Amino acid sequence: MKKRFSSLALSAVVTLSALALPAVSAAAAQKHAAPIGANFKVGLVTDTGGLNDHSFNHLAYVGVLDAHKKFGIKYSVVQSHQSSDYVPNLTTFAQEGYNMVIAVGYLMDSAVQQVSKEYPKTKFLIIDDAITNRKNVMSAIFDTQQCGYLVGVMAGLMNQQKHIPQINGKNVVGVIGGQDIPPVESYMAGFEAGVKKVDPRATVLQAFANSFTDPGTGQQMALAQISQGADIIFPVAGGTGTGVINAAKQKNIFAIGVDANQNYLAPSTVMTSALKGVDVATEIAITDALHNHFKSGVVHFNLANKGVGFAPPIKAVPASVLKKVDSFIPLLVKGKINPPALLSSH
Amino acid sequence: MSKRTQSLVLPLLAVITGLILGGIIMWVSGYKPINAYVALFQGAFGNSVFIANTIAGAIPLILTSLGIAIAFRTGLFNIGAEGQYWIGAMVGTWIGYNFPHLPWYIHIPFALIGAMVAGGIWGGLIPGLAKAFVGAHEVITTMMMSYIAILIGHFMLERGPMMAPGYNPQSPLVTMSATLPTLVSNSNLSAGIFIAMVAIIVVYLLLFHTTFGYRLRTVGHNPMAAKYAGMNVPLFTIYSLGLSGVLAGLGGAVQIMGVDHQLTDTFSSGYGYTAIVVSLLARNNPIAIFFASVFFSALSTGSQVMQINSGVSPNMTDVITGVIIFFVATDKLYSYFRGKFRRSSKAQSEQKGVSVS
Repeated sequence: MKKRFSSLALSAVVTLSALALPAVSAAAAQKHAAPIGANFKVGLVTDTGGLNDHSFNHLAYVGVLDAHKKFGIKYSVVQSHQSSDYVPNLTTFAQEGYNMVIAVGYLMDSAVQQVSKEYPKTKFLIIDDAITNRKNVMSAIFDTQQCGYLVGVMAGLMNQQKHIPQINGKNVVGVIGGQDIPPVESYMAGFEAGVKKVDPRATVLQAFANSFTDPGTGQQMALAQISQGADIIFPVAGGTGTGVINAAKQKNIFAIGVDANQNYLAPSTVMTSALKGVDVATEIAITDALHNHFKSGVVHFNLANKGVGFAPPIKAVPASVLKKVDSFIPLLVKGKINPPALLSSH
Repeated sequence: MSKRTQSLVLPLLAVITGLILGGIIMWVSGYKPINAYVALFQGAFGNSVFIANTIAGAIPLILTSLGIAIAFRTGLFNIGAEGQYWIGAMVGTWIGYNFPHLPWYIHIPFALIGAMVAGGIWGGLIPGLAKAFVGAHEVITTMMMSYIAILIGHFMLERGPMMAPGYNPQSPLVTMSATLPTLVSNSNLSAGIFIAMVAIIVVYLLLFHTTFGYRLRTVGHNPMAAKYAGMNVPLFTIYSLGLSGVLAGLGGAVQIMGVDHQLTDTFSSGYGYTAIVVSLLARNNPIAIFFASVFFSALSTGSQVMQINSGVSPNMTDVITGVIIFFVATDKLYSYFRGKFRRSSKAQSEQKGVSVS
């Protein structure tokens, strides 16, 4: 026994010293030839959802990566554990001389207000929030009622199809929100309006999971809606939505992804996804700041500038349906249809 | 090893084992553990702001773990400190923004006491009464009460009565008169640290230098003997869980009034749960709780900078925490190995004097 113990201690010592070795050469390896963005540093602060939210934190990261590939900008990411981390995280980046700091999510509103005031030379981008009184803050707002409307139209049309095994003819669709907040509500309101536009007699079931991180609840709520006859469910609930998508897959009904193209979660039942171009917005903001064209204030991302949209549907969606959905795009772009951003129940 | 040194060495061993295992995991997943730990340390103690943030993060942990320690000492498992923390935060916030005309020397104590009472009722009176009179186990009741508290919190904010005008699920800001002053600018460190220090001293004196504390501990050691000695065991159950809730509630209010200044959906990151680990690591000793809280807070604040500088996910610190909990909880394992070790070292010569501790 002693042998085993001392060898354990020994191996711990050996491991420790082995760990120490590669550390020495670490700093030297990171230097590269200098592209245009080589001296431009971008810091990304996620909200408490974290990078693997399959949603806007992830998309913001994708946008940063795209900018990195294009311009060779340097970047760093920090995932916030709790809301009291926001100010320290934003401050750390600003202090360390990052040119641009990206705050993902309206939850960071007051933190960005505070830190942007203390570091006027640092540029900030905040997603899903409107900060208008700072020269160094750009606020990206997404008109997601538009893409919600389009997938709603698609759901309404699909629900009237006769020969699709997933469609049960009961004319019920469901939508499950993460929390009752504007960026979620705009999707839901748009969706409801879209369904009713093409299928006025449809029942749209609504529910809130009160969490963006609880797939278990998502699954239960989806099963409840399915038992009420829903055959297409649209989760607008971040990580909770993955549970909804699983339930839909399990019961062989359709789900609609949100924010990113979530088809990979269940390729035969996620019929399309409502897209929110957080990646597009992030990349645009970085590009603009890099070329000294930084725009402060609210910038809207919508169908017109391809800031929102929907993912290519799966084969189960007939071409006639897709054509009809596409026909609504110009109407929305030209403002002939203005879907509500708030739910009618409020 | 005397009991005293043992209670110092074993938690330390657990921490070191946790750090080493965490390092091995980082190494295996392609990171450089030394760099990461240097960044972790810098992030926790690298400059005055980081130090201040680390201490600030320890405040809610200290207060909640003190509460949990009192319950543990009485043989009770208050697993619902998270909910009591929420209740305290909620009441503290509500009082904090609703009475703008009070002077600070009334407003601050008012909010703190309100939060303490609410936390005490939530954590103590209800589960305590249920335990004392119908025998409902406090692990279940405190836990369930905790869920109720957290969900009430969400209800209050999401278009509920405490939501600020606008569209974000957050409460109004507490007024200046209910704000604990910040001690180090650009940091989260507020005067709440003094409240935490006072709480440590009070709990220490209460537990070890009063008859009341002696009775609490007696009930914890052996409720039968306590009953035989004429103590009202149900009453002390209620006292103990009540005090537990009082401290957790105070923690929530101090966090709101010192750091967050408003209630948001994500204002707590499970302090009530981490606090259980803190109490375990500190073996329910109020003074040790201070150091254990600073340690866990350092892991948390440091992990944010570790991520910026070395790319290691902050979740790695959760892994380290998990390993530490495992080894603290299984300290019998150490005793077992030590027994084996002693026996075999007696049998063999003393040449291979490699010891783990």
